[in-house]
Order: sequence, then C-alpha cells, then structure tokens
Amino acid sequence: MLNALIDEISVNERPLLGEIKFRLERNKIYTVLGSNGSGKTTLIKSLTNLLDKRFYSVNGKVFYNEIDLLSAGYAQMLSVRREKIKYVFQDAINSFDHLKKFEYYFKMNSTRNSETEKLLNYFLLPEAKKLFRLYPYEVSGGMAQRISFVLALLAGPEILILDEPTSGIDSAISNLFLLKMKEFVLEKNNAVLLVTHDVKFARKASDEIAFISNGKFYNFKPTEFFFKDGSDSIINNFLTPDVSFQK
Amino acid sequence: MNYLLKLENIGYSVRDPSVTEGKRRKIILSKINFELERGKILGIAGESGSGKTTLAKITAGIIPPSEGKIISNFSDEWERIKTYPVQILFQNNGDIINPLRQIEPTIDETLQIRNRSKNNLAEKEKIFNSLNISELIRKKKGYELSGGEQQRAALARILAARPELLILDEPFSAQDPESQLNLLNLFKKINEEYKMTMICIAHNLSFLNKLCDEMIIMYKGKIVEKSLSGDLFSAPNHPYTKFLLKAGDYDLSYDELKFPG
Repeated sequence: MLNALIDEISVNERPLLGEIKFRLERNKIYTVLGSNGSGKTTLIKSLTNLLDKRFYSVNGKVFYNEIDLLSAGYAQMLSVRREKIKYVFQDAINSFDHLKKFEYYFKMNSTRNSETEKLLNYFLLPEAKKLFRLYPYEVSGGMAQRISFVLALLAGPEILILDEPTSGIDSAISNLFLLKMKEFVLEKNNAVLLVTHDVKFARKASDEIAFISNGKFYNFKPTEFFFKDGSDSIINNFLTPDVSFQK
Repeated sequence: MNYLLKLENIGYSVRDPSVTEGKRRKIILSKINFELERGKILGIAGESGSGKTTLAKITAGIIPPSEGKIISNFSDEWERIKTYPVQILFQNNGDIINPLRQIEPTIDETLQIRNRSKNNLAEKEKIFNSLNISELIRKKKGYELSGGEQQRAALARILAARPELLILDEPFSAQDPESQLNLLNLFKKINEEYKMTMICIAHNLSFLNKLCDEMIIMYKGKIVEKSLSGDLFSAPNHPYTKFLLKAGDYDLSYDELKFPG
C-alpha cells in the first residue's frame, strides 16, 4: 500500500534518521518502538510530508498508489490526507481548536449519522447529540484521544497512523482500541502504523515491529521474532532496561 | 492528625449542555473524601473520563469545587514567597511548554521567583542532572523537543518551584520503558529528599503499586475503592477494580469489555 524509500531525514541540517525503507501491506498492524526523542513522531510525519520545511528536510520518496507523496502537489496531498491516510496525533486534545465545538469536526468528516453513533457508543463516548455541543476543553485527555480516533475512522481511510493512541486512557479502553484496529485492518483490508511506548500493547496488537535508536532504523520484523531475537543488544536493552527499583 | 490536605465531601458539577431549559447539572465528581498524609504518595487510577484530572485541579485550587471543602496545612513560608504550594505536572505538555523559548531561562526564572537573592546555579544543575536533561536539550526551544523531553522540561520547572504537594497527571504515558523506570526512581527520590507529598494519576496500575503508599480507584466520578497499594492487587474489592486489573493484559473480547453499570 505504502512504500517508503527515505534516505535521510535531517533537522536544521543535522542528520536525524537514515535508511528508512519499508512497505506497509494490507491486513497488518505495524508498530514503531524507540526511546524518547529518537524520532518516531518525525518519521511518521515525514511519510505524508507533514514536517515543517523550515527546519526539516526529507531525502527520498514515499509511494502511495503510484503517487510520490513527498513531491505531490498541495491539492493532491489534501485529498490523500483527508480521505486516505489519517493520523491520530500524540496529545490529541491539541489537535482541536478550543473555540470550536466537536460538531464542527464531525460535520466536516461525515454525514453518516448511524456510523457516528455506532463508533461513539463503541468507545463509550457520549451520544452525538451531547458530544457535539461540547468544546474540546470540556472533555478529558483520554476522551479527546478517543474522539480523534473516531473522527479518523469516519473518514474511511486506507491507512491509519496512530501516535501514542493509548496514552491517557485506561487499559479497558486501550483494549477497545486494539480490537478496533484489528477489525480495521482485517475486515476492511487496511493497514495501521502505530507508535507507542506500551510494549505490552505493541506485542498484543502488532504483526510487525520496527525499532529506532541513535539515528538508526531497524526494519520491521514479525512480532514474535522481534521479541525472541536475542542477537540485537540495543533492542534487548530497550525492552528490559537495566534499571532497578527499590521501594 | 498530621495531614497536609483533607478533602471533605467534594463534589463538582457543570451545566449540562444537552439540556437547554431548566437547571439540570451534569455531575463530574461526587462525595470525594480523602486525607493526604504529609510525605506520602497517593495513587489515583480509574476509568478514562471519570474525573481524575478534574479532581487534581480542584485539589490544586485551580478550580473551586461545587460542594464540600478542602482543609490544608501548608507551611507559612508560602505567604512570604507569594507562589503556590501545589504544582501539577499536566498530561499534555505540548500545551504548556512555550514553543519559542529555550528551556534553561524558564528554569532560571522560576528559581529566581522563589530565591530572589540567592545564587541558584547549584540547584539548577542538580535539577537538570537528576532529570537527565543534557546541555543540548537545555539550549533547545520548546518546539524542538520530543513529547518525552517536553515532559521532563515541565518537571524541571516544577522542581524549581519546589512545591509542598506535587500532582503528577499521567507522568509515564509519553516515556519509553527505561525512562519510565527512571521516572519511578526519580519520583521516589524527590519524595524522600525534598519530603514532597505527591499524588500520582496513572493508568498503569503496576507502576502505581511500586510508587504509592495508598491507592484510590475512581469510576464515574466516585471513589469506588481506597486501599494500601499492595492490598489492591492481592485483594481487590470493587468489581470495577477487578475488571481494570483484568483488562491490563489487553486480552479481553468486546463482550468482556462491557463493564456493567
């Protein structure tokens, strides 16, 4: 579905990440793990040309349906971002304009009211009639996270890119996210690219996992190999950090 | 009783936006009671949207409760310094760190406010070192930091203000596994060295168990369980607590995830 052939991403002319070459196929959930500040968010933003060009430069190509997203024109990118590749960003509450009610976002996204109600109900959110009247500052962080996910799903995309979708939500609702992601890739023939720090969640959700450390991209491999593979000490140190805790 | 803070029958409600006529209120929190002992760490977990952050804001005095009262025992120092004894490390630090300012001067400023006359260099170094904030990060501006780095920068500023009560709202969520454990150690250290009382809100129950002395589980705006943190795991009482513990493995099916009520 998506074929990334990126040679290098740099920020203010400092190289940040190199050799990012991977494909996303249908029916799979892909996860990127890595330390804080290693460039996970930068990587997923680079795929659809979302990085601020004043600071970042991306060398390479990212193909989606024969279109190179890095050199595509504005109008074409707009329709890809609106319909085909949707994001849920970290701190989703900051994705909303605090002076616009949720109605604005839902009306913009979808007219299929029954689908909206079904998804709101699934994620244990208030019904549309109530939710639409609320402003973003009136909901909790975890609710904003779920609302952002519902909006992304309503657009009917082929690829969902999720940055820390489960931060700020309880494990029962994380579990709901996981089931919805599986349904999205398996029943609707789509793909998910996920960034998370929750290793347990990544293990349960993903088909393949990649890793970023010190500017290096360790390509996707099947989840069971990622966790079994004892050969890479960097990944091992990440998964079982050498920090003891004394109560 | 040697408590720092005591919440008595705290309730919080807002105008219900779905009701246009009359005065029906939507209840966010009701009948919240707890005592926070000086020097202890209290954990709060519970349903997403159950009012945890609202409770943190009420405890910190940012919003007034609709009902009940808060009795506090803060030191008299604060009158003189004219800053506030409670600080919150918020969930969404992207909103809080100024994107266009360097990190270091914001810490300098905060130290200045508390210690106008003194040379604060040693304390600043101590704060940066304990949070692993490198020379490089200190010189960066807010927009250049990753989510996890922004959080540590926010925490540095809070330590510079050195509150008597520190409230942590989801401190682990933007951190990698190693940083999560380092944070746990750091919070414990802050608690012991600065004798700082803490409230920690988190969804990861096993972290809370490691860090906290006591724990509160919230569901639909109420405290449904309050116990010593070890007991919560070995002998959970309320059905919602049991449900939450079970959901932690992400193994439940859709039908099993429907908590009754």
